[in-house]
Amino acid sequence: MQSQANSDRSPNGFAVAPGSSGPFADYALRPRFHDEIFREDGTARASCRRLVDTLARESPEDLAALQEGVARRFVHEGITFTVLGATKMSEHIIPIDCVPRILTAGEWDHIDRGLRQRLAALNLFLHDIYHEGRSLRDGVVPADLVLGGPQYRVEMRGCKVPHDVYVSVCGTDIVRTHDGFVVLEDNLRVPSGVSYMLACRSAIKKAFPALYRRQGVREISQYPERLYRTLASLATRESEPRVAVLTPGHYNSAYYEHAFLAGEMGAELVEGRDLVVHDAMVYARTALGLKRIDVIYRRVDDDFLDPVTFRADSLLGVAGLFHAYRAGNVVIANAPGTGVADDKAVYSYVPRMIRYFLGEEPILANVKTWRCREKEGLAHTLANLEKLVVKEVGGSGGYGMLVGPHSTAAEREAYAARLRADPENFIAQPTLDLSRSGCFVEGRLEPRHVDVRPFVLRGRDETWIAPGGLCRVALRRGSLVVNSSQGGGCKDLWILRAPGD
Amino acid sequence: MLARAAADFYWAGRYLERAERTARLLDYQLTRLVDTPADELAHGWRVLYAALGRGTPDVPADADEAETFLIADAYTLAGRLVEDGTNPDSILSCWSMARENARQLRPWLPLGVWTCLNRGFLWIRDVDFAAAWGESPSALVLEAIDRLRLLAGVVDGLMPRDDAWRFLELGRFVERLQSQTKLLETWTRVGRADDAPVRLPWSDLLRISEAYALYRRRRAALKRREAPLAFLVRNPELPRSLRFAVHRIETLLGGIDPRGARYPLAAPHRMAIRLGATVEIDPADERAAGTAGDPGSGAFATLYRDGRTLHNLIMATYVRYPVEEGLPT
Repeated sequence: MQSQANSDRSPNGFAVAPGSSGPFADYALRPRFHDEIFREDGTARASCRRLVDTLARESPEDLAALQEGVARRFVHEGITFTVLGATKMSEHIIPIDCVPRILTAGEWDHIDRGLRQRLAALNLFLHDIYHEGRSLRDGVVPADLVLGGPQYRVEMRGCKVPHDVYVSVCGTDIVRTHDGFVVLEDNLRVPSGVSYMLACRSAIKKAFPALYRRQGVREISQYPERLYRTLASLATRESEPRVAVLTPGHYNSAYYEHAFLAGEMGAELVEGRDLVVHDAMVYARTALGLKRIDVIYRRVDDDFLDPVTFRADSLLGVAGLFHAYRAGNVVIANAPGTGVADDKAVYSYVPRMIRYFLGEEPILANVKTWRCREKEGLAHTLANLEKLVVKEVGGSGGYGMLVGPHSTAAEREAYAARLRADPENFIAQPTLDLSRSGCFVEGRLEPRHVDVRPFVLRGRDETWIAPGGLCRVALRRGSLVVNSSQGGGCKDLWILRAPGD
Repeated sequence: MLARAAADFYWAGRYLERAERTARLLDYQLTRLVDTPADELAHGWRVLYAALGRGTPDVPADADEAETFLIADAYTLAGRLVEDGTNPDSILSCWSMARENARQLRPWLPLGVWTCLNRGFLWIRDVDFAAAWGESPSALVLEAIDRLRLLAGVVDGLMPRDDAWRFLELGRFVERLQSQTKLLETWTRVGRADDAPVRLPWSDLLRISEAYALYRRRRAALKRREAPLAFLVRNPELPRSLRFAVHRIETLLGGIDPRGARYPLAAPHRMAIRLGATVEIDPADERAAGTAGDPGSGAFATLYRDGRTLHNLIMATYVRYPVEEGLPT
């Protein structure tokens, strides 16, 4: 295999050009899409030379064995997500691609600064809409869009949020096009996937130990400790705050993540039935009596948090929890009502929020968005359905969207009818030329479209961004949808240290 | 430790112990399939099912019919205890429930413990039972025993001695106390009944209880005969003796709730002490099984009922207590 790899070396001595023989034989570059590994001339990017060299030395059988080993480990360790079918529950693993994606220190620095700026503005916006409403009066965001939104919680009006931190944990989806990095959406309610980011890293580090060491990759393993510190910093009681992760239970698809984070943080993993509210304080039922809880990292949607305040039929929440929250005796992270700011229509106003609240130009651009609630937006969307991606404003997981270029005439016609019936519920965006990164699929290396979800933590005094993220990949050839529910998988993301760092 | 998590650990301990107990009894019976007359074999199935607290299998009384039935259906009888998902006490069900509990306990479980438990579950879930019964049923049961014991060893080696471990062990020993009591009672009253086709030997009971070698050594050392039944009840060194189980329960309860171990005693502690006294004082011979006409009359039946009461007290004191009683003072 070594001799074959050598024969595939390009004149620069590093890259195995795509299109040649060897593991990259089926790797076809297309000028339309930015390739994360290769330049347009087929040579490897400087940051990826060692990766290419390493992969060129592996046979397809070795790579397949490696990929299988990773998948087997995930099965044995129960790194799974749960799908509740009509008759029974089944567990699945997220497909892991063994080829890491690499970003340079400079590229990451740009993302890091952009995310800090974005989260600062979003927190100020959330405080504003639940208090003075200045930004709404000044027309930064249409008041009816915010106040009439399903995620706006009137119960939060005037509520004192500890340290004014509404969003403590944020997962922002970012893609790269030829124009650079752009934000696809902000996940401000209960962003998930961080456990897969860490599991991926753990597996790939073992798979390519020498490469990992030589590349100088920034560590992400401190995420649980950072999360704990972030949450504990928000506690209103100074001495030894007790942190709990509130999960809907083990039937929830993200249950593994809830359990993983609680375990790694040393926090209690609680369900609603484990908590009781007494005298506006929250207690966990332990084997030896009730113990007070100070901070709840909730992985339960607003609607289900408290049957007294929100949905009365919720069995997942805790009766009286919101009362304790308003009394300042417990912190709920993220705060109830943050979902209003990750609505896909509100998203389109984030650049304006940044200018309004921070007086700065956005570092990370948004994707051009047409709001179908506006007459021109709807007209443009209907006239260009075959070119656009249309989404429900409150949708997630890749469900309920139309990818125009991949749709049939009948599908577009049906979608147009939905648009006309309820235009407020939709936005449209151009079909993005998502960048592609090398993946080992069906026994060979091929490029696939990717995005990345970095995780941002905001505590009382500081903001920290894990130098990495959940890199999602559309494993079906040609697909642009990276969601695991739609055939997507994930891969490790390596952020390189700056020279001299 | 959360009350729910404590209950999950406790139940996981019970399920794993139950699965291992069933596998051991089944291993004994499957070994006898090769060279035991049909009527004795049928008797063995009745004892085994009774010891597991299940209804007696419908084996024909006629010897010839019984032989045909047993050849054709021995693996149906075994299958009910191994792979039958509708039987909550089958090995597969117990493993599945223990694993489901463990899934909710991930933050408290060392990765090695979870992985070992999960791999065992994935193995038994994916066994081709039809092929296994046809090829080597004993190998299947022995593999289950090996995997359960491996898990017990991993638990012992990896779990910190905190409340998670204590509740897991508490569940294991409460289950052991009840199942071993039931086995002794059944073996004595049914297995060795006067009208049985064969009186099941004490040596087999000692082997099933993994006590045979120790019994022989102690007997040789003491140079006197000690009744096997008394040995299985009172020997302090034997992990499957009733005394050993009760002593472990007392110690574990003391670790979980030290205040409850002082006077005034918490209800589970009081019951554990009473169980200890019963094991020490009550007769440990064939009278303990009660009379044939009144199986609930002997000391074993009392012990079994007290074991169930102990379980209920543990649940009421540490899991399902009223909120007002749990508030900090």
